[in-house]
Amino acid sequence: MTTVIMRTTARVVVPIILVVAISLFLQGHNLPGGGFIGGVLTVVAFTLVYVSYNLDYLEIGVLDRDVDPSRAIGEHRTVATYRRLFMFGLGVIVASGLAGPVFGEAFLSQAFVVIHLPLFGAVELASALLFDVGIFCVVVGGLLTIFSVVGAE
Amino acid sequence: MDLGFWPLAIAIGLPFVAAAGMPRLYPLVGERIGYLGAAVAAVSFGLLGTQIGTEGSVSRPWIPSLDVAVRLHADGLALLFALLASGIGILIFAYATSYMHGKPDLGRFYMALLAFMGSVLGVALAADLLLLFLFWELTSVCSFVLIGYHTEDAESQYSARMAMVITVGGGLCLLVGILFVAIAAETAGIGAFDLAAILERNDAVRVALEETGLFTPALVLLVIAAAAKSAQVPLYFWLPRAMVAPTPVSAFLHSATMVKVGVYALGRVRPLFHGTEWTSLVATLGIATMAVGALLAVLARDIKELLAYSTASHLGLMVAAFGFRSRYGAEAGVFHLLNHALFKAALFLVAGVIAHEAGTRHIDELGGLRHDLPVTAVITALATLSMAGIPPFSGFYSKEILFEAAWETAQTGGGVAWLYPAAAVFASVFTVLYSLRFLWLFFGDRPDGLGSIHRAPGALVVPPAVLAGALLLVSVRPSAVIDLIVNDAARATAVGVVDIHAGIPRHVSGPVVMSVITVSAGFACFPFYTEIRGILEGVSTATARVHPTTVYRSTLGTVDRTSRLVGSRVQNGLIRTYVWWLLLSACALTAAGYASTAVGIPAPAMAETPVAVVLVLSVAVVAAIAVASAESHVTGVLTLGILGFMIAIFYILGSGADLALTQLVVETLLLLIFLLVLEEIPEFYGELKRGRALRDAALSVVVGTTAFVSVLLAAPERGADPTPTAVFYVTNAVPEGGGANVVNVILTDFRAFDTLGESIVVIIAALSVLVLLTMRDRGETQ
Repeated sequence: MTTVIMRTTARVVVPIILVVAISLFLQGHNLPGGGFIGGVLTVVAFTLVYVSYNLDYLEIGVLDRDVDPSRAIGEHRTVATYRRLFMFGLGVIVASGLAGPVFGEAFLSQAFVVIHLPLFGAVELASALLFDVGIFCVVVGGLLTIFSVVGAE
Repeated sequence: MDLGFWPLAIAIGLPFVAAAGMPRLYPLVGERIGYLGAAVAAVSFGLLGTQIGTEGSVSRPWIPSLDVAVRLHADGLALLFALLASGIGILIFAYATSYMHGKPDLGRFYMALLAFMGSVLGVALAADLLLLFLFWELTSVCSFVLIGYHTEDAESQYSARMAMVITVGGGLCLLVGILFVAIAAETAGIGAFDLAAILERNDAVRVALEETGLFTPALVLLVIAAAAKSAQVPLYFWLPRAMVAPTPVSAFLHSATMVKVGVYALGRVRPLFHGTEWTSLVATLGIATMAVGALLAVLARDIKELLAYSTASHLGLMVAAFGFRSRYGAEAGVFHLLNHALFKAALFLVAGVIAHEAGTRHIDELGGLRHDLPVTAVITALATLSMAGIPPFSGFYSKEILFEAAWETAQTGGGVAWLYPAAAVFASVFTVLYSLRFLWLFFGDRPDGLGSIHRAPGALVVPPAVLAGALLLVSVRPSAVIDLIVNDAARATAVGVVDIHAGIPRHVSGPVVMSVITVSAGFACFPFYTEIRGILEGVSTATARVHPTTVYRSTLGTVDRTSRLVGSRVQNGLIRTYVWWLLLSACALTAAGYASTAVGIPAPAMAETPVAVVLVLSVAVVAAIAVASAESHVTGVLTLGILGFMIAIFYILGSGADLALTQLVVETLLLLIFLLVLEEIPEFYGELKRGRALRDAALSVVVGTTAFVSVLLAAPERGADPTPTAVFYVTNAVPEGGGANVVNVILTDFRAFDTLGESIVVIIAALSVLVLLTMRDRGETQ
């Protein structure tokens, strides 16, 4: 799979996918999109990198760090990062859910405020976005953990 | 004095608190920790003692939305049972501290014993059906732990498991029975689980039970539950096996308290169910158990086994008494509950002393013990004569009242009902026989093989001596005990007025003749004990095929074999087999759901479908056929991609933008995953076996049909109004959720709990993959 065509395409396409993913994620509350879709699309971008390069490319080629190849995949630094990511996501979800009971509402109930900023005009701040951040992190972290571990086989 | 909530709650709760602390305290205090158990029992006993004479219910809310509360009810019967449990508990803990000297795992032992005492007190005092069930099952669990005290011993394990299967199985019957009663109570307008209120207005509940057709099912289920717990025919066989437990456990659980829980429950619900059905079921069951238990006790070769069968027989006596309709029934049942607890606990403790000092429990190896154990001999004499029902000992009084109840039932019933007194006399003759045999251990000749016997230590003799003292009190002054509590207790379970008379009869009547026959026949047959046992052994061998133990073993064996067969078929380690069965069961359950609600299938509206949709879906169908007939993985994956993208387009045509996006993204991801693993899997599919292909094809047809039917049922009719849920979501998305994308607002706000659950699924999947691979890397594979 690691042909030149594949690699070149990936180099061009991956940033575009990531930007689309983030925009889908951010607009999710009012337009099609959301945490799950944005998350899966981000996973698609990363998986494309894995398919066309390899698991360590991100570490070596992008972040310019050394990788200890002898370590078991479960203790791999990338995998550990993904693991932390989905744990963080779950934490965000639960924390945003617990905000409800603090204000006397039901668990996981959401609220929003509309504030007016000088340049942007009316901007809506919804606690649902925080919840969506959690979903995004869980999806990205969880799926990428699976793919990186399985892909390393 | 008014009934207080806290004395009862502390009496129940304190044993549990002490039980929780036991494993920590035991290493600090050592074996003397048993005295702490005795102290806890004494506190409970004292607290309950202050409540004698009070009657009423107290409650604290627990689950208000289900009308479940911590309701406690005290009346004569509840207090009698609770006082027996805690009072005997004091003696048992004191006895165990000496008896269990040097044994391992005593922290766990005392913990289970204390928790058990708390549970029995809970059963006695609970006035909430669910609370009653909870404590009922807790007694079974504690009994399991205590029977399996010798955790390494295979027989101990088997017996503990057997007791667990039978009593917990009975407990499940109780749960269903309780729910039936609760349904009826709710229909009658009474709080569903409030046992005290149900019993107070038993006529209304009874009418509701009969109207809903639940009377017989509820009655049968409750009787099965009580029979399993109280070792009635044919579920008695776990009790003798439970004798592998240490003797204090046998004395406490398997003679005095736990096995009486079933009898107690029957006494409790007696006012609700009494009638012809009740008598024919419960009295027959009790009398049958009485006879079978007495015969088996005569057969027994081990002193604890003899006592176990005798316990079953006496439990049968109490069940039979509660089964009879007249006031004598209630009186006999309650009075014998007290008497039996006293003499049987004493006899078990004596059996413990014998086993401890003589080193054997075999009946034929023991004899002439009166020289070595004089005090124990006196205690045994009192207890066995009471057990045999010889006047003027306490057991005689309660048995005489039972005879009166049986006699009266026979007189009013006539015909077949005369079998009741006949069978009662028959069983009682054997009771006299085995009681005398037990007593003969102390008299008779001393066998040659018996080694030297030490004098029993005081700590082992005092507890049975206290029980013997109580027996003596009941024998000499029965009226004092009756006035104190037994009359009140009988009133709680009787339908009419009660007035217990205990004493030596002064004129001849039917029941008196029955007693005379029993005692004289018993004494006359005793010289031929060995011959009688030989005859019974012949009968037992001839009927071995229908013994409940045999049936139990073969049933369990069949279940074992079946599950092993199913396991090897369904869970054979191949993912495709798991998926096959999973999908099939899911479809079967869905179909069963549709069938049970008898939904009609609406006809699909073919004509109105737009051309674009037809086109897209036809491409999808062609792609699906191509997937199934693909030769290699690459074609398979690509055609599957076509299928997925067609469905995405279908979503767009149906203006489901979010769905389409998700479908597209997931489809892309799926393709990438295949690319990721493509190099690892063989290029072409292997040879397909015809049988497997047919099987898989059949399954795919089933799944497809189920999905098709589900869509037809779920889709709203064209032009129909949106459902209230849909209207709610659409109108509230912007004002409540602050988002114009209804789907996203549903996901993050209205149904955020679902989303939370789904993210946990993703995390669990990720973690399982990690764990599986880590385990393989460490070499933990099968």
